[in-house]
Amino acid sequence: MHVETLPFTSNPCRSPRMKTLDNPSDPLLHDRLIEAIALRRDREAFAALFAYFAPRLKAWLIKSGATPGAAEDFAQDAMLTVWRKADLFDSSKARAATWIFTIARNRRLDMLRRDARPLPTPEIELAGEDVRRPDELLSMSQDADRVRDALSRLSPDHVEVLRLAFFMDSSHSEIAKHLDLPLGTVKSRIRNAMTKLRLILAPSEEAAR
Amino acid sequence: MKPQRNPSEERLLAYAAGTLSPPEAVVMAAHLAMRPANDAWVRDLQAVGGEFLDEATPSALSHDALALAMARIETDAGEVKALAPLNDMPELPEPLRRYALSPWRWIGPGMRVRDVHAPRDGDCRVILLKIESGRETPKHTHGGIELTCVISGAYATETERFDVGDFEEADTEVLHQPRVVSDEACLCVVALDGQIQLDGWIGKLIQPFVRL
Repeated sequence: MHVETLPFTSNPCRSPRMKTLDNPSDPLLHDRLIEAIALRRDREAFAALFAYFAPRLKAWLIKSGATPGAAEDFAQDAMLTVWRKADLFDSSKARAATWIFTIARNRRLDMLRRDARPLPTPEIELAGEDVRRPDELLSMSQDADRVRDALSRLSPDHVEVLRLAFFMDSSHSEIAKHLDLPLGTVKSRIRNAMTKLRLILAPSEEAAR
Repeated sequence: MKPQRNPSEERLLAYAAGTLSPPEAVVMAAHLAMRPANDAWVRDLQAVGGEFLDEATPSALSHDALALAMARIETDAGEVKALAPLNDMPELPEPLRRYALSPWRWIGPGMRVRDVHAPRDGDCRVILLKIESGRETPKHTHGGIELTCVISGAYATETERFDVGDFEEADTEVLHQPRVVSDEACLCVVALDGQIQLDGWIGKLIQPFVRL
């Protein structure tokens, strides 16, 4: 399985970047890979996507406190879900990274569930259909560039504390320990970061709150 | 325009990140279905999560990880799951419609409760609470965090009013005696963590009988 030589450029007119993986973090490329899985069950495309995202998913779970083994199992499961649900991906609604993040986020909720008591009713989904579990999120921001741009305008402190809030478990005391800061400082820093982000992304909503 | 009662930013962030407990996530999902502006904000936060995932420093996988993944997709038969039937309350927001519900239980004058069979998290579980107009719950404090979203009607605490779609976070600090202020009954979905502690001697008397 050679990730470097992808034969799925059967439609090369879409983007010249399709031809190689010289820039594997190219978001457009990732969108095309997911679409190739959806359209043709393209295994090479899946391998390329796996090579890029599985190590990042693993890193995320390790940061949130999982063992490397459990983190890798999680990455495997999340990528299998990507394979299954590729036809639900809509590049006009979300970037590949956001979509995969959301799939992984839902799987993470599943893991929390498994530790909880068994359900009286079975857990549920029809293969191949866009059936969302009630607390699952699959649709996303219209404009990911907006978000990327907003992040670039936050201070490094704010970005760091938001990143930790996403990738460590939600407990702010853990984040405080990690940063070696008082809990109150961390709480207000997260709040300030969120306020700033809101002001950049949705100034009118902020005014309405 | 009445001020809207929204979840705290921390809780919206935790929901986007997938770190809320499942019962709390259920109440949040109901709220977001009723507040499109907050729903849009959560989607933006998820795009932030996607951005962070993209930038993460990769962790090396074990040497056979790709081979294993390829073998799994070759033999994958999809998910064998059936769709849960809709429950009997069409007035609920869409995210709550596919959870099974217990029968209503009487818990006090003008107060009834149904269990929502969503996943629990330790002591934390989801209930529907219906309180008739003009009634108030017994004064109580909480053993843990209580999240509430109003589905219909309205209630008021000592200091604030909560209308349809509003979201309240009460913790162990809050001594709570919500009173229904709408003409119709007030229906709420609640994630309840820990035991409710009823206040006062009557509360102490009926505490053993109140199974929330």
